[in-house]
Amino acid sequence: MNEEFLVIKDLKKSFGKGEAKQDVLRGMDFTVKKGEFCVLLGPSGSGKSTLLNIIGGIDTPDEGFVSINGDKLEDMDEKQLTVYRRKHLGYVFQMYNLIPNLNVKENIEVGAYLSDHPLDVEEVLTTLGLQEHKYKYPNQLSGGQQQRVSIGRAVVKNPDILMCDEPTGALDYKTSKEILSLIEDCNKKFNTTVIMVTHNEAIKYMADHVIKLRDGIVRHNDINEKTIPAADLEW
Amino acid sequence: MRNPLIKRVPRELKSDWHKYLVIIIFMVIMIGLISGMYVGHDGMIAAIDESRESLNLEDGSFELSKPASSEFLNDLSTGQKADVRSYYIDKGTKEADERVAEEIEKRLREEVTKAIEDGVRAQCEAYGITDEATVKEQTDKAVKENFENAIREARETEEFKKASEDAYKEAHETVVKTVDEEWGEAVERYNLNDESFSPVAVSITSNYFRDEAEDYDLDGKEDATVRVFKSDSKIDMASFNKGRAPESPDEIAIDRMHADNVGVEIGDTIRLGEKEFRVVGLLSYINYLTLHQSNTDLMFDAFGFDTAMVTPEAFDTLTSRIHYSYAYKYAVKPADKIEAADASNSFLKALITQTLVYDNEIKDYLPEYLRQASNFARSDIEGDTTGASILCYILIGVIAFIFAITISNTIDKEALVIGTLRASGYSKRELIVHYMTMPVIVTLLGATIGNALGYTAFERLAVSLYYDSYSLPECSPVWSTAALIKTTLIPLVLMFFINLAVIMKKLQLSPLRFLRHDLKRTKRTKARRIPAWSFLKRFRLRILFQNMPNYAVLIFGVIFVELMLCFAFGLPDSLDHYAETAEDMMFAPYQYMLMDNKDDDGNVITTSEATAERFDVKTLLYPKGKSSFREGMGSGGDESVTVYGISEGSSYITLGENAKDGGAFVSSAFAKKFGLKTGDKFELHEEYENKSYDFEVAGQVDYDGGIALFLDEGSFKNVFNKKADDFSGFFSRNEITDIDEQMIATVITKDDVLKVTNQLNHSMGGLMDIFKYFLIVLAAALIYLLAKIIIEKNEKSISMTKILGFSNGEIGSLYIIPTAAIVVLFSLIAFVAGYFLMMWIFKIFMMQMDGYFAFFMSPGSMVLSVLYLLIGYVFVSIVDFIRIKKIPLDVALKDME
Repeated sequence: MNEEFLVIKDLKKSFGKGEAKQDVLRGMDFTVKKGEFCVLLGPSGSGKSTLLNIIGGIDTPDEGFVSINGDKLEDMDEKQLTVYRRKHLGYVFQMYNLIPNLNVKENIEVGAYLSDHPLDVEEVLTTLGLQEHKYKYPNQLSGGQQQRVSIGRAVVKNPDILMCDEPTGALDYKTSKEILSLIEDCNKKFNTTVIMVTHNEAIKYMADHVIKLRDGIVRHNDINEKTIPAADLEW
Repeated sequence: MRNPLIKRVPRELKSDWHKYLVIIIFMVIMIGLISGMYVGHDGMIAAIDESRESLNLEDGSFELSKPASSEFLNDLSTGQKADVRSYYIDKGTKEADERVAEEIEKRLREEVTKAIEDGVRAQCEAYGITDEATVKEQTDKAVKENFENAIREARETEEFKKASEDAYKEAHETVVKTVDEEWGEAVERYNLNDESFSPVAVSITSNYFRDEAEDYDLDGKEDATVRVFKSDSKIDMASFNKGRAPESPDEIAIDRMHADNVGVEIGDTIRLGEKEFRVVGLLSYINYLTLHQSNTDLMFDAFGFDTAMVTPEAFDTLTSRIHYSYAYKYAVKPADKIEAADASNSFLKALITQTLVYDNEIKDYLPEYLRQASNFARSDIEGDTTGASILCYILIGVIAFIFAITISNTIDKEALVIGTLRASGYSKRELIVHYMTMPVIVTLLGATIGNALGYTAFERLAVSLYYDSYSLPECSPVWSTAALIKTTLIPLVLMFFINLAVIMKKLQLSPLRFLRHDLKRTKRTKARRIPAWSFLKRFRLRILFQNMPNYAVLIFGVIFVELMLCFAFGLPDSLDHYAETAEDMMFAPYQYMLMDNKDDDGNVITTSEATAERFDVKTLLYPKGKSSFREGMGSGGDESVTVYGISEGSSYITLGENAKDGGAFVSSAFAKKFGLKTGDKFELHEEYENKSYDFEVAGQVDYDGGIALFLDEGSFKNVFNKKADDFSGFFSRNEITDIDEQMIATVITKDDVLKVTNQLNHSMGGLMDIFKYFLIVLAAALIYLLAKIIIEKNEKSISMTKILGFSNGEIGSLYIIPTAAIVVLFSLIAFVAGYFLMMWIFKIFMMQMDGYFAFFMSPGSMVLSVLYLLIGYVFVSIVDFIRIKKIPLDVALKDME
């Protein structure tokens, strides 16, 4: 395993100016290994989504840097960042953000199109239990099914890192566990590095690496020696 | 792998089919019509150009007062100027010689007689004879016996020879001196010593015609004037749209357009003068594609004027006077209009001088490039297509903006998806291409169907539109590159770039801003303050502010529609207004123009008609000083001004007090067209002479019928160097019956004034009504597309207000009333803008034409033009209301569809 696949170094970010200035990230340092399941845990306002956006190359830090596999994001221009996201990242959001007039299979193909070595779409559909729904449109699906599609769209690219921003935030207990199991499967099956932002404390037990944030800094940076499968989580 | 996003396009088309259908239908109609016009136009132009060759169109024509001798025509065809000076000197010398000889003979006889008488008287005195009777007898006798011998001897004397020689010499010198003086003036007047003059060789063909009275319904009354040509003419020939050329003296072929307008068909009988003819063919003379009787006519008149072909035998049996018209063609064809103008100027010099030398008189001269009847149709077709394509581009521009707004709205709606796609690695370019696909496809679809219709249905429509107005030769569609460029390439480019600009600007935002749905470029720190009105009023105001960009596009669309409505209502109104005021535009119910003020015997023409009043008239030119975008047909150059000399105390035209002191009064039309005011100075010049006259506006005469200048009779004669008994015609309240018809050039009655409006009404009347309804639909469609965006944008809010318990009626009033208020306000603004824009366009158009025709819109039409737009909007409101009613409650509760 690459010891320093993802390096976050002295990351600072603030919003607003003058009196209204708000420091969201106040100097963050940590590293994530390749294939690690990393959970960023913290209450709202702790800066976890901002951190995820900076790692995802869709936001920029004021100070510090992010490097992936040795490449610093700050050295990349907009085009290179797009290529970086295209080649290395998969995104899963709390709101599934599916394209309404594309069916399930096509929504997954939207992800496959971006990759040079995508996974087989049919296989992903089967893995996600979406075979029987593959010709349905998003508005014909439940929230959990939509989130499965969104995961499918992200993993079909066969990304190096799967970025998940509160993927279960809008789901019920049972569906949340199903979705977490799927992400866990992807992590195990494809050795995809997962960085998941959540405020759900229970999820930390399934992660290899738990980073707790508060007020823009890392409060705890723990490695789980023993993880609990998602299916066994309780909250 | 193909971009899966492409699959959205057909689904988008299907799900929003009514919106795209409206857009496509518009594009198809506009592009189809323009394409049809271009294809038809190119076909017609090709047919006209081909016919110009095959039917041997002249390069110009002239009319003489009597037939030209073959020597005259031979000399003229060399294009050389005649040596007018030598001609006059020869002529003058001959006359002088005759007179000198007469004088010498008379003086010699007197001298000899006196010498003989003196001799006899001296002898009688020497013989002492004093009786006077005897002396007289002796002298008479001596004169009788010796006169011849004495004359003979006297002629032999040196003294006589010298005196004669001196007399001839003096006479010849006087002739040369007088001719040189006169000649100098003529040279200056006609610019005959122009050094750049080079002879233009021509071939001349006689093309005599007669203007006969035509009675097509055989009711014994004259219905039209028909210009009759012989069937054996080898120049300015006709093409036959139906039937054949006349073969026997009782057969005739007449103009197709005229026949169509007045309902004459092949096999019908018509009367020309006193003679009846059977119509055997419907034709189109290549030099009368539009039936302009005179080149100065404001409009052609396919009702009151006709052209016809009869056999030479039939021609000889007709009774009206023959117009000795000759057509010429240049040996070397001028390359363009400038060369044609030079050639025409050179030829005119030859014509003027040769006509003088051959003792003839020019009645009319018209180079073909200035001939309305052969050029009007061609330039009108060209002008129309230009105008129509400009309208097409404006509409496509408006549609492109609607599209851009729609897409911008879609981008707003899909912000989260776009953010996700961008975050997942989709590039900006890929998304731009994606959102550009729809407008490009819709334009291509519209252009393809439009073009297909352009070559088929619309081509025929365009052609038939022109065939309803002009006597054009048959034509067929030809491939038109211009049509392809203007109807496909330009709309595509317009649509492409307008949309590209909007989409690029919209997608400039970072993925994060899309994910946060933070799409406003400028953030208002504070909400707009709104007065403390009722909640619903404030709510409406907020909706109004929210949709400002949509309203900005709407105003352009509405101005465009209003401009068109002003045209659709204004043109028939202007025609009706013109017709209603036609009587005021007549000085007198009858206006007789005479060929000459004296008859063949030299007696001044008079009439017993009590109301008849003499007037003088002369046509001069007013420099427009503006370049014209419509060329030829006498419209590009100077304005023709009719100058009248009015009798003192005229009962037809009242001039101001200072008329007697040489005051010049302009017609109200003249003043309006060129913005002349009292005290303004201007210059008029002769058309064929290098002579100009200065005038100062002393006042106006309320006369909108033409560009005219009025002078007091005395001033007229003074300015134009006319004799006291010169005059040009009569004004009369009643018909004058006691003047020989051969002496009457034209009679102008109310019908002549009305022919302009009749023709325009016929050509455009029906079209205007269709146009009005088309505009209602256009207005409705434009507003529909924009209103749809407003509702779509607010779907969630509407759904939420429904959940909160607002009734459909209340919600309707919230979302429809702001747009309704804006539409009403914009309609009024747009009407004012459209009205003034139309006035301006009309004035520019009038500057290209001879004559004057005021743009007029009745108050009723003004109201209607706004009402029509609002009627369109009422339909849209109903659709909007239904749409609002249909928005389900759960839209607000769903974050995703």
